Amino acid sequence: MKITDIIIRAGRSLKQAKARTLLTSLAIGVGAFTIVLSLAVGAGGREYASTIVTSNTNPQELFVQPKMDANNDPKKPQKYTDGPAINYGGYVVKLLSQDDIDKIARIDGVKTVRPMYSTTIKYIVAEGHDKYQASVRVFRDGVRLEYVAGNADGINNDGIIITDNYLEAFGFANAGDAIGKKVQVAVESGLVVSGQVDVKTFDFNIVGVVKSSAFAASPVSGMQISQDNIQAIYDHGTQGTPLFGKYEGALVLANDGQDVKVVKDAINNVGYDAQTAEDLMSFIFQFINVLQAILIGFGILAVLTSVFGIINTQYISVLERTQQIGLMKALGMRRRDVGRLFKLEAAWIGLLGGTIGAGLAVVAGTVANPIVSDALNIGSVRLIIFEPISVGLVIVGLVVISVVSGILPARKAAKLNPIEALRTE
Amino acid sequence: MIEVKNLIKTYGKKDNAFNAVDDVSFNIPTGTSVAILGKSGSGKSTLMHIMSGLDKPTSGEILIDGQNILKLKQKDIDKFRSKQMSFIFQSFFVQAKESCYDNVSLPLEIAKISVGKRRKMIEAALAAVDMSEKVKAKAKELSGGQKQRLAVARAIVNSPQILFADEPTGNLDSVTGGMVEDLLFDYSKKNNVTLIIVTHDSDLAKRCEMQIHLKDGKLDTSKGKVV
Repeated sequence: MKITDIIIRAGRSLKQAKARTLLTSLAIGVGAFTIVLSLAVGAGGREYASTIVTSNTNPQELFVQPKMDANNDPKKPQKYTDGPAINYGGYVVKLLSQDDIDKIARIDGVKTVRPMYSTTIKYIVAEGHDKYQASVRVFRDGVRLEYVAGNADGINNDGIIITDNYLEAFGFANAGDAIGKKVQVAVESGLVVSGQVDVKTFDFNIVGVVKSSAFAASPVSGMQISQDNIQAIYDHGTQGTPLFGKYEGALVLANDGQDVKVVKDAINNVGYDAQTAEDLMSFIFQFINVLQAILIGFGILAVLTSVFGIINTQYISVLERTQQIGLMKALGMRRRDVGRLFKLEAAWIGLLGGTIGAGLAVVAGTVANPIVSDALNIGSVRLIIFEPISVGLVIVGLVVISVVSGILPARKAAKLNPIEALRTE
Repeated sequence: MIEVKNLIKTYGKKDNAFNAVDDVSFNIPTGTSVAILGKSGSGKSTLMHIMSGLDKPTSGEILIDGQNILKLKQKDIDKFRSKQMSFIFQSFFVQAKESCYDNVSLPLEIAKISVGKRRKMIEAALAAVDMSEKVKAKAKELSGGQKQRLAVARAIVNSPQILFADEPTGNLDSVTGGMVEDLLFDYSKKNNVTLIIVTHDSDLAKRCEMQIHLKDGKLDTSKGKVV
């Protein structure tokens, strides 16, 4: 029998048992739905994560740290190695000195090296208003910002960019009102001057107001000031502490058009530990992948359950159609073709279930997308992205699984003795 | 020409062994209509199954036009059956939910006849049994006589050389039964097709040119001669 004729006959047999076919397909459809949706959420998550990373980092940037001690058995005492370091309750973090910064700056392909400052400010205040907690960081070119008012011009002249969620706290009617106004940042040093903790205030002019971005890592991380200002705050804050003149890391900007990976290797070769923005992204992706794997796991469980459904349905079908099988064999249909007929019926069930499940997943995902984005307040970002190739592969995979499930019943059909099958009473 | 030589079919083993077909030999010339008669349990169905290659005998030979079909591989027996043989059964075995067209199409699909050639053959077969107007009807909508005529159409569609009929009129009243008998004998005569009817209906058997009586698996020579 020709394969096309078998496919047509298989499809026709299923049509004759519509309810049963549909119910069996739906079981596999549940699996298809879960898997397709998990894949879409994973794809969306990765896309979202890479948007976060690109809006917070510059792809030409590298994060450089001192190389940690190789022997890291936490149960044994660690040998002391000379060099700047800070001990956080027994956990030693090595630090970079200005010498290290200069050394890195001399490496080929390095455009700039900037120490990273983990500055701690005491409070931020606008004249005549309450003091608020805040944090400041370095303004960096190449990182996308959404300005509500003003811009970064004048940042190097004691300028500060604030986030719009502080407007009310500072007593500004709107963002435009804030531009040109003064705020003070207070910083505490490690020194004690005439019995008093040494607190110094730094004055800033507001030059820009940015949206507190959905992509920002933390709601208070928004205040941005120039490199020189941050250096001054850091130097003041670390006076009298071992951190003075030392840095936990440095940000290296590679030359435009330079492959960051080459620069990374060059920095690692001189004894530091450099990570590209992409390296830093990888742990986010790993997290998303694990989540996705768990979701897919549930889908696979559903598929596994439906496998037994298919086997059961096909066994019943073989029993019901004993006479038909007997007739076909009497008419000279080969064993192999009888087996194929039942395997192809299973394939149809898989195709139907896979298509129904995947179709529903696409519909549900498309409907849910704006709702999810609204609920998470991430604007127009789509968290569920369907990739036609992966949807197609899921359906093909389910068809294959269905055919495999159909093997046992198909074998039973193929082995059926036509004489027994055609015996009446 | 079908030659059956010393056919033995044994069921069971050792003490329980009994011969359903016990040393049977006869010849059937091509184009002859033959009745295989006997009470139930006489071995007539087993004999038909063996002659059509559906069952294997314990010993003996079946030569069809000189070829021993028992020596063929399963694949080749299947092919032989799909090209040369056809069956009609007491309970019709038409597929109730399929159309008449699809029912008749089945043997052609099995014999790998191309789609283009099928339509004419199916229409001719349905016309031969006077069922042309039922092409699209579902088999379950047919009466018993129409179902058996449909089964005849399915049996003759691929122009077989040998037509096996197992109690073809057993489930039909005498009028419709007679119609089906006429169809079978006419077809056999016109096309020089060997017709082998298994029956216990002596009236039907009398219409055949040759009768083979079986009793307890042996040829019962008292009731008629065997060629």
